[in-house]
Amino acid sequence: MRDVARDPAALELLRVQRNRLADRLRPPWWYLPGAAIAWAVGGTGEFALRYLPRVDYWAIGVAQLAVWCLLQWGLARATGLKVGPRPLRVLRDGLFYYRPGRPALIAMFVVSLAVGETEFLLIRHGRVAAAIVVAALAVVTQVVLQRTWLQEIRQALRDGGAAA
Amino acid sequence: MTGGVTAKPDPFIHPITRLSICGLLAAGADWVEFAALRDAAGISDSVLSKQSVMLEDAGYVEVRKGAVGRRPRTWLRLTAQGRQALEGHLAWLAQLEEAVSASTGSLTPGPGGGVR
Repeated sequence: MRDVARDPAALELLRVQRNRLADRLRPPWWYLPGAAIAWAVGGTGEFALRYLPRVDYWAIGVAQLAVWCLLQWGLARATGLKVGPRPLRVLRDGLFYYRPGRPALIAMFVVSLAVGETEFLLIRHGRVAAAIVVAALAVVTQVVLQRTWLQEIRQALRDGGAAA
Repeated sequence: MTGGVTAKPDPFIHPITRLSICGLLAAGADWVEFAALRDAAGISDSVLSKQSVMLEDAGYVEVRKGAVGRRPRTWLRLTAQGRQALEGHLAWLAQLEEAVSASTGSLTPGPGGGVR
């Protein structure tokens, strides 16, 4: 087995290998359209609450989560890398454990909350057309953020992440 | 030559194959599939299999076996212990690299052809 001390290019080799791994994290063609569907499903929640009283508000949230989990499962299968958020990891590793792509994930969460509130207020004041425009813009924003999230993780893979 | 090196190497991940495996697992993904790791590291199935067992026994790597249909899938992830060991070892390597480049820099030929 080769010894690192006899190989002055060991760190360079590791950089090359990380680049190879990062190149695998290219989302398949269906990933971003699938993300758009997931966010669009989530965006219908406020409309359903107002106009479809028979549809459970939480069922829409569960449906959105199911599509998102399916997308992450497909991404892991296609790329060989599991990169999805692990909220329960906070319990084991603390709140500030290293996680690439966290800024984009937080931005997605904040946008979700803000859009939900905005849609709620607009629908309550009868401005349904404006609420639809907000929902459509939110889907585009969330897809862009989801793409940014993957790019951040890909960059972390290139840089070496926490062990850089 | 190693006057500026204060970090300590980890003899277990000193061999380059184990360093590659740990370095790739630490990079940013949570779990990495066996084939993805093998392709990125540029090693054979048997080498990765043997080294991953050794790393697992040492507590540096966690291995989870599953299947998609009939096809078996093995996922690997770096443990907190593995991450700590790798960080220390990479710090040592970086210091070593700096020390080597500093010492070779001081041995560049002077204007008269002699070594400075």
